[in-house]
Amino acid sequence: MSEAVATTETTEVEEPVIDLALAEEVIQKYKDIPGNLMPVLQGIQEAYGYVPRVTVDYVAERLNVYPSQIYGVLTFYAQFHLKPRGKFIIRVCMGTACHVLGAERIKESFHDRIGIGHAETTPDRRFTFELVACLGACGMAPLAMVNDETYGKMTVQKVDEIIKEYSSLPI
Amino acid sequence: MVTLTIDDKQVSVEKDATIYDAAKAAGVSIPILCHDKKLKPFGACRMCLVEVEQMKGRLIPACTTPVTEGMIVRSSTPPVEKARKLVLELLMLNHPLDCPVCDKGGDCELQNLAYDHKVNSNRLADEKFHHEIDYNNPLIERDQNRCVLCGKCVRICDEIVARGALTFISRGIETKIGTEFDGPLSCEFCGSCISVCPVGALLARPFKFKSRFWAMTKKKSVCGYCGTGCNVTLGVKDNNVLTTVYDENQGFHNGQLCVRGRFGYQFISSDKRLKNPLIRKNGQLVEAGWDEALSLVVERLKGAGSAAAALATPRLTNEELVLLKQLMTQQVGSQNIDHSAGYGHAAVSEGLGKSLGVVASSATILDIQKSDLILAIKTDIYETHPVVGFEVNMAVKNKGIKLQIISDKRGKLSRLPGANLLLNKPGSDVALLNAVAKVLVDENLAVTPAAPELAAALNDFTPEKVAELTGVAADAIRELARAYAAAEKAIILFTTGLAYPGADAQLAHAAANLAILGGKLGKEGSGILALQEKNNSQGALDVGFVPGQGGLDAQQILAGCSAGSVKTLLIAGENPVVSYPAQAVVKKALDAVEFLVVADLFLTETAQLADVVLPVCSYAEKEGTFTATDRRVQKITAAIPAVGQSRPEFQVYGELIRLLGGQAAATQAEAFAQISAYAGISYSELGEGGAFAAVKLQPVQVVPKVTVPGVEAGKFTLLTGAALYHCGTMSLYGEGTVSVCGEAYVEISRSDAAKMNIAEGAEVKLTSSTGTVSVKARISPRMSEGVLFAPYHFADASINTVWSGAAATGVTISK
Repeated sequence: MSEAVATTETTEVEEPVIDLALAEEVIQKYKDIPGNLMPVLQGIQEAYGYVPRVTVDYVAERLNVYPSQIYGVLTFYAQFHLKPRGKFIIRVCMGTACHVLGAERIKESFHDRIGIGHAETTPDRRFTFELVACLGACGMAPLAMVNDETYGKMTVQKVDEIIKEYSSLPI
Repeated sequence: MVTLTIDDKQVSVEKDATIYDAAKAAGVSIPILCHDKKLKPFGACRMCLVEVEQMKGRLIPACTTPVTEGMIVRSSTPPVEKARKLVLELLMLNHPLDCPVCDKGGDCELQNLAYDHKVNSNRLADEKFHHEIDYNNPLIERDQNRCVLCGKCVRICDEIVARGALTFISRGIETKIGTEFDGPLSCEFCGSCISVCPVGALLARPFKFKSRFWAMTKKKSVCGYCGTGCNVTLGVKDNNVLTTVYDENQGFHNGQLCVRGRFGYQFISSDKRLKNPLIRKNGQLVEAGWDEALSLVVERLKGAGSAAAALATPRLTNEELVLLKQLMTQQVGSQNIDHSAGYGHAAVSEGLGKSLGVVASSATILDIQKSDLILAIKTDIYETHPVVGFEVNMAVKNKGIKLQIISDKRGKLSRLPGANLLLNKPGSDVALLNAVAKVLVDENLAVTPAAPELAAALNDFTPEKVAELTGVAADAIRELARAYAAAEKAIILFTTGLAYPGADAQLAHAAANLAILGGKLGKEGSGILALQEKNNSQGALDVGFVPGQGGLDAQQILAGCSAGSVKTLLIAGENPVVSYPAQAVVKKALDAVEFLVVADLFLTETAQLADVVLPVCSYAEKEGTFTATDRRVQKITAAIPAVGQSRPEFQVYGELIRLLGGQAAATQAEAFAQISAYAGISYSELGEGGAFAAVKLQPVQVVPKVTVPGVEAGKFTLLTGAALYHCGTMSLYGEGTVSVCGEAYVEISRSDAAKMNIAEGAEVKLTSSTGTVSVKARISPRMSEGVLFAPYHFADASINTVWSGAAATGVTISK
């Protein structure tokens, strides 16, 4: 299974060509386990960075579940993404502590510099920007994260540094 | 049994009952929105909250809570009423109050509950929903703004229809019902979702703004399409059938209908109905009176003897067939009567007739859910008999009944959980069944020993040999045989009819042999059920509307027309030009015959060739009985008066009998009494649900003749059949069915399409030795390489131009 299928779905960020071999690999891993839909979808998201539409149809056929049912699961859980995501996921905490200490300005600064709002991805797929309710480290407020890296006591200057740092990395 | 008390009434119920079930048994009504007796308990709406003495401190949902011994339930205490009112207030918070223009008004459960609970104000305030209404398909309107998220549509589409078109999307306040990626609805359009929707979120578009619910008279009837025998309720206003009305207590199928039953009713009140007799004058069909038309027919039939013949559709009532048979055999003196092209009924008339000693199936549709194993021959049973398909779905999905399939293509049935498909080469069904029988014999699995003649014949059908012939692995054949033998109860299903010439007497013999050897006859949940094509196919056989002694069958009648020996042909409701094989042969015969009389609802392709056309009534305008494929005899009565000058055929043939000096039964009851197969059934006592005609089995092992049709190398194998959305050619006059499936197509495998660079929807030409036809290509994952499938209903690109009646036809494809 190595046929590549181009998707026709239009998103703000152009979808790449999807190689279903990756999906098949994930399916093989969980094929005979009851209740395998969640791990398969998680595996697919890990493989592609999001859950491309063609993989939904593919998984539906391979696991003999309705595509609608898969879509229901994908939209229920916040962990799944149906559009391509950036390599670096910037999360800005908007929880109470961060809010009090100026999260709004941090959010605005990111927005000014990379030009995207909540749940959006830059066209070059470098950054995805997300606002979250609480990251659980209120002592470090205002807080931001880039992938697994945490940045506490955020300032507008630090936003510049973060952007600079991650803009220089290859994607 | 468990005994409990509900509102001071003691009631005993099964131990797996819920509080809701028990309340119903005790005559206590508990309000529900999300509960449906056909579906698994869900507990979404919280309308059914009750108080349980033993579970104090919280309110208990009645529909999901199982009963326990000594439970004390109170269904309408002040806290319960308060909670229910709050549920309604919360629902009405976002639900638009557009009842004046909502088609559900008067039939809406939310409306009724709000009224019952006097929700005349709301303590809460919020915005209404702003979902876009889905008008993307012609039949089902989806207005999510009115949705109460009971999930019945999602569940019925899964649990019964097994299509899974709908799902819950997102979470919390954003939750809505929709399809994958929130796209337009693309499904079977059976409308089951509409039937269970408690509010106006799902509506039948053809019925929009046609009538308020209460302004219609609801008339019970029996669906006039396939042989399943579903009961329908017609919504009638001003003598027009405006819709079908859902009644969850109707029929063995609990009101479930397929797309044809629910949306195919529009042919009844169609503008295209013939309203006056037509007579050919100077080459043109012109309107005439009944007297003139009938006197012309009488003139031709008088003393015609075997120079006359009749072909009737098994859509006529039993009583009409009795009269037509009498007319032909007694007044005209011809034994040349037949239906379904002469072979469409052979599996039952000849096959089961010889093998089981009775011209009928041994099992009924009710046996499907009582079985342990279902053996379906071809996946087409889902398309030809969708409501039987629902029974299979429920048997497999909800009851865990095993499903084994022998088929030349995949299909919806083969995707059911645990379904085991043996994909065989087209036309090799009989050989495959023989091999299964051979394994039963060889592995000592046969309960009844094989008769010497059969045992000897089976020697040619070892699994290894048959594997080569059918393309099914020998071990898979063995496994199927073992599974069939191991099941205490097993039922064999196959579909018969005009487009299924392969389902012939031989197939019936082979299937019957399996049932005989396996000891699967004469007990509940077991046996053979041939699914016959039309609503009264079984009735036509029970009446004996087949060639009499020395009479010609349908194919011979047509040959006789061409040869000049048949000079007068009466065609009642059949449309051979489109539905019989070999269109050129049919047309030649109908052109050649001196005098052609057609009785029909419409000016069909066949009626256009007639000398006299008699306008007759649909099932909604007449009285009589239909016999479903499992020999359930059901009575219909007129829901509306005859359209135009059309007449019920009971009247027409009775009149012809009298004009020819005979005596015709004056009433339907009188004609019914003449059917010996229904001895013991009283016409006047036939109630809702009808009565099963007795079937006395005398099984005989008949050696089937095996011919595997060969197709020339390099050609595609064309299979004919039925589309889910149609039944015969009548559904082509039902606007609803046509709106979702309106033109001829051919299904082709993905790999063949890729190889030949054929795109979805592209026009392709199919050419066989008899002709060429242009149809749209449908790329279908269910087809195997080299195999094509085309439904036969469509006159515009009639498949019988390339198909001449073979079970598999060799064709080439060009673009």
